[in-house]
Amino acid sequence: MDQALATCLAFPPEGPLDDDVAYDQAIQAHLLKLTKLLKDPPVPLCQYGGQLLELTDPEYNSLSYLAVLHSLCVPSLVEPREFVLDKLVRFLLGFDPRQIRYAGSHLSEILTAVCNGSLLPPAVAVEVVSAAILKIDPTGSMFTSTHLQLAKLAYNTNNIDPALKVVEKNIVFYPGMANSKRPAMLCDMTLSPSVYIHKDTGFTNPVKATSVLEYDLLSGMMFCSKRDWEKAHAAFERILTFPTRDGGCSKIMAEAYKKWVLVSLLSKGKVIPIPQYAGPAAAKAYQILGKPYKEVASLFDTTNAEELRSEVEKSSQIWQDDQNVGLMKEVLSAYQEWQIKNLQKVFSKISIAEIRQQTKSAQTGAILNSDDDIEALIQNMIISNSLKGVLEKNDDGTVFLTFLPSSTVLSEAEYAQELAKTAVQLKDLEPIFKATNERLGTSREYIKHLIKEQKRAADKSELDPTMGFESHVDDEDLMGGVTSTA
Amino acid sequence: MASADPILHFFTIMESQSGVIVKETPKLDLDLYIANYRGRTCFDRLLLIGRSSVPLCVDALKAAISEAKKGKDVQRYRDAWECIRIAAPTDPESQLDTAWIDNTEKANRMETARLEAELKQYKNNLVKESIRIGLRDLGEHLEQVGDLGAASDAYLRMRPEASTQAHIVGVAKHLIGIVIQRRDWPSVLANVGKMLTGGMSDEEQKAHQPFQKLVTGIANLHSDKFYEAAKNFLEVGDPSICQGCNDIASANDVATYGGLLALASMDRSELQSRVLDNSSFRNYLELEPHIRKAVSMFVNGRYSACLDILESYRADYLLDIHLQPHVPAIFSAIRNKCIVQYFIPFSCVTLESMNKSFAKPGESLESELITMIRSGVLRARINTIDKLLVAVSTDDRAEMQAKGLEMAKNYEKEALERIRRMNIAAADLEVKGTRKGVGNAMSSISGETWFDDTRRQLSQGESSAG
Repeated sequence: MDQALATCLAFPPEGPLDDDVAYDQAIQAHLLKLTKLLKDPPVPLCQYGGQLLELTDPEYNSLSYLAVLHSLCVPSLVEPREFVLDKLVRFLLGFDPRQIRYAGSHLSEILTAVCNGSLLPPAVAVEVVSAAILKIDPTGSMFTSTHLQLAKLAYNTNNIDPALKVVEKNIVFYPGMANSKRPAMLCDMTLSPSVYIHKDTGFTNPVKATSVLEYDLLSGMMFCSKRDWEKAHAAFERILTFPTRDGGCSKIMAEAYKKWVLVSLLSKGKVIPIPQYAGPAAAKAYQILGKPYKEVASLFDTTNAEELRSEVEKSSQIWQDDQNVGLMKEVLSAYQEWQIKNLQKVFSKISIAEIRQQTKSAQTGAILNSDDDIEALIQNMIISNSLKGVLEKNDDGTVFLTFLPSSTVLSEAEYAQELAKTAVQLKDLEPIFKATNERLGTSREYIKHLIKEQKRAADKSELDPTMGFESHVDDEDLMGGVTSTA
Repeated sequence: MASADPILHFFTIMESQSGVIVKETPKLDLDLYIANYRGRTCFDRLLLIGRSSVPLCVDALKAAISEAKKGKDVQRYRDAWECIRIAAPTDPESQLDTAWIDNTEKANRMETARLEAELKQYKNNLVKESIRIGLRDLGEHLEQVGDLGAASDAYLRMRPEASTQAHIVGVAKHLIGIVIQRRDWPSVLANVGKMLTGGMSDEEQKAHQPFQKLVTGIANLHSDKFYEAAKNFLEVGDPSICQGCNDIASANDVATYGGLLALASMDRSELQSRVLDNSSFRNYLELEPHIRKAVSMFVNGRYSACLDILESYRADYLLDIHLQPHVPAIFSAIRNKCIVQYFIPFSCVTLESMNKSFAKPGESLESELITMIRSGVLRARINTIDKLLVAVSTDDRAEMQAKGLEMAKNYEKEALERIRRMNIAAADLEVKGTRKGVGNAMSSISGETWFDDTRRQLSQGESSAG
């Protein structure tokens, strides 16, 4: 036990490790010792593992801590449960990301176990897994198999809020990208996540296209349940424009298209055309499969509430089969709000009574019962910031709505600030761009292509002398040239 | 179902055939009007007036019958008779003149046979010019008889026999005459194109300009291209030559069509320069002074007066063979333009004064304004509380700022999306089709193909965004 404790505490050493090389060497040596300890323990680890955890610091001795914890949690949890789980949570919230890069597979096994929901209550599980994912990859730009597990757990158990910080990140890297080679030193903190997160480092399992699609679908649905229509729209759009080949289109893509139509009604009040870079075969499939949805959408933009309502009712079985009943209800209730918002394209000031006459509720297909209802609806819209306007009262007691201009003029300084903010955001893309560029620039195919191009250029320059000669003749006096050669 | 009033009965039938019915008395005088035309268009125009105008119905139909009897086209006589039989059963014209029909049909058959025999003879002699003349005679005869399909065949066969530019133009003119009667507007434009195939001197061109512009204008009018049509009519040129085209339309028609369409499609400065200051078109405007008055009213900003003039002539326009189907569209275009122009100098107008200028008494303009604003014709907002129409003041600065920020955001989004797609392709995660064989072959060489593929798709998206 003492010996084991000594092994565990041996890393990191007391003295500072100056550079990455020294760090790498030290940790590799430590890794060997740990492996030996785990493989061939003098006394079974589970007997005194708890004590080891008590005596080591999860933030400082992360690697050793992980090793011990792993043997206690996987394949099955040892007693005392409460104690080990408490340690598990503390570890996942506080580990040192640099050390655990050397034990990716152990960490993901633990995370998988947590995501299965058997160890921790779902609310806690989502919280700690999200924290762990962002600790491994603070940019959140790399997709892993853990992402999908987290999304499933969060959505199925309705613990969405803690997962949002992961789900909101822009994912641009995917496991299994061609020409991603093992880095020399995993401890290099400047590495792009796409380099150290790899199926060889154990942080992720190989993923399939359906995993990526499923993850986006789940995140879209999470945003839907948070009523963040903008983000849901973006998530569904990622699915329906997913790159395809050989006329491919998956069922998830078609499902996402249906939701995308409804969400764009909610976020924009109308359907925008499918982005052109969506696969042509998929786009064709959407037109056929999404027909009932398109019909609802085309009515949403009109003033014909009654027809919209009957159209929705007519196809209620379809919504049920597609599990879009909830979204459809949202669409119906949002209809009148959009009608009111569209009034600002025609009116600058309009009385509440007139609004009541001109807009209908799609839930009933009729106008609202009283002016007070309309007033309350507008109040809510103004409060929720979806409508820019003020309610005022005339001398004769008529209440009316004044629409305010949607965009306010920013001062020059504010504008510059806004622009600078975007510039910073663009700069933030630079590492991603660099990583991609490096990876693609050093791929075998590209280099082959480059050599071929160079060769061709070289061939051309050999041809050039004759070309040069001819142009030379053109420039000269032709007669003179003829006589000199003759 | 013998109705008490045969005219009423006649027009209920016309209405059920979704014909246009004009109850108001037009300003035109039927005899003077029809004297402007010659050829087959006379009958078409008379029949149209007979079928549309309540006050002129019987007169026009009678004139149509006598016009038909002057010619050789039996079917036309039958058409007119069908109408008058219902509209004026007591008139002597309502008795079918079977003797005339039999005689004419017999004469027509003999004439056709004679011309065909002659043509055969010419063909045996192989003299190009006589074949051409023979075909022309046959075509003209068939046209008069009313067999338009056979007539256009005969004219078409003239083309290979044509040996001079004038012959080609002649063929085209004949053909255009036929396709106008058949109301086949795209063919009109195609034949005008053929008529203009090079090699014409300036003088010749000038001589053909009225005809060519006139028919192009009519074809454009029927294709709803009001602006192009207006320009065509304004460029018709010499009225004395135009007079020669009165088998299609009269010079008065040129003035009316040109003026109305210009009002519907041009702005004030263009109307001034292209219509009022147009020396050749002035000759036409003199024939229809009310059009000139309406245009100058519009240019001078007296919109309601302009609309009043046009409104008082609406019945006349509705009885014109070419204008009839387009009158509502032209009028609403002019009206919309008047409202827009009226509003331009103001930032804010009371709805009351708008109603006074444009609305019919006792009616409100509001719903019309709403449709105009919705369709984007009028850039304004209605204030129903203070009863005002308020101009939309666009803040260019705010717009620019919003655009700038939007662009920056889109740029970021696009950059991310591009990188994402590249990486998906690199990780071989695309959704693949199930085409067997082809798919396998593709995946075996995927290393070569993937980036071409994505690049193409993205550049499509880009071209649409740009």
